[in-house]
Amino acid sequence: MNINVEAFYAKLAEILDVETVQPDSVLRDFEAWDSLSVLSLLAMVDAKYGITLKPAELAKVKLAQELAELVELKIASRSGN
Amino acid sequence: MNFSFHGGRVSGLLCVLPAREQSFLEDMKHFDFPESRSRKLMEVMGYDKHRLVESGACVSDLAVCGLQYLFDRGLLGRDDFDALILVTQSPDHFMPPTSNIIQGRLNLKQDLLCLDLNQGCAGFVIGLIEAFLLLQQESVRKVVLINADVLSRKTSPQDRNSYPLVGDAAAITVVERGQADVEIHASVKMDGTRNETLMIPAGGFRMPCTPETAALEDVGDHNLRAKDHLRMDGSAVFNFVQVEVPPLIESLLAEAGVAKDSVDYFLCHQPNRFMLQKLADKMKVPHAKIPMNVVEHFGNSSGVTIPVVTAFNLGARLTQEQFQVCFAGFGVGLTWSAMLMNLGPLPFCQMIQYPGGEQL
Repeated sequence: MNINVEAFYAKLAEILDVETVQPDSVLRDFEAWDSLSVLSLLAMVDAKYGITLKPAELAKVKLAQELAELVELKIASRSGN
Repeated sequence: MNFSFHGGRVSGLLCVLPAREQSFLEDMKHFDFPESRSRKLMEVMGYDKHRLVESGACVSDLAVCGLQYLFDRGLLGRDDFDALILVTQSPDHFMPPTSNIIQGRLNLKQDLLCLDLNQGCAGFVIGLIEAFLLLQQESVRKVVLINADVLSRKTSPQDRNSYPLVGDAAAITVVERGQADVEIHASVKMDGTRNETLMIPAGGFRMPCTPETAALEDVGDHNLRAKDHLRMDGSAVFNFVQVEVPPLIESLLAEAGVAKDSVDYFLCHQPNRFMLQKLADKMKVPHAKIPMNVVEHFGNSSGVTIPVVTAFNLGARLTQEQFQVCFAGFGVGLTWSAMLMNLGPLPFCQMIQYPGGEQL
């Protein structure tokens, strides 16, 4: 399943306290990319997409685009169950 | 696993909170972190004030203060209970059991079973289960359950993932026989494979305290913590609660044959407001039925938060009325637990300060 990536980046920007997030944005480069943002992200994907992102999975992600792909992958594997 | 009990009831609740109050704005001074992010943390998590013991205060000090208060006011007879269960993760000593220390300090009778249980955020429900089990004995007429922790003493002030939310407290719950036809249901699950999610790595026999374990380390995000300090994997705890707790409560309600709507209050452990809001949403329960205001007023005192959320929000009403409540505790172990019961009217349900015993 594909998510609405525009909406996803908008949510991500909100969490990171910035105007916009680009697909090639490096997550660690945002000043607000800290444990609070990670928690907010986990809560957002749980509420919006019904998936659980594990901290270990998140640690492998570098770009915003990769994060969107991870979310899509998790949604796909969930609906495959 | 499921438990059910006949003929037990809670017949009194007293919370003991340290008089010392510290604000998040004071905590912030110790964090190496942009102020705007600290303020965001405060807003999202619902941090404001927390109650911390003065250095040196121990679990038995809070417990003795509370029990003496009850004895002095005739709310509990000193010879009227036959078991004293203390649930704590911050005992006065490794040995002897702190429950024996409390017994000794108050000169309680020798025909008394003193029992320490090492449990944390799920410890109120675990303690109640133990109390109801003991009440099945002829010789046990009344059980005093004490939940108490002073974990602020093991939390690094420079760790903003843990310090702003921690609080110290004790609660005394009196449990006794009730109407035999009233059934109480409980459900507990544990997962020891995730035992490192919440832990104090050093200080036991596996890793004794040394100058090395006392050294502060940068554990990311400019948080400084030593191995002697409490460590909490916030993201893992969040996922754990969202994934495990709602189904446990659903299955407990199904087992008891009680509809979710007929539960008056879900009195949950209080990790922080953020997690409780997300839990309420996941459980599809109106926020008004899940009080979530303990961390901002008193801090998260581990197994004591369920008594505190109960006394703080429903104290006066519970002396007059009865509610069908679902307690739910979750955390260290990992352990998650829930119990469904009719609570009230209680002869007492209040909060006092330590030291002094002044009413809150």
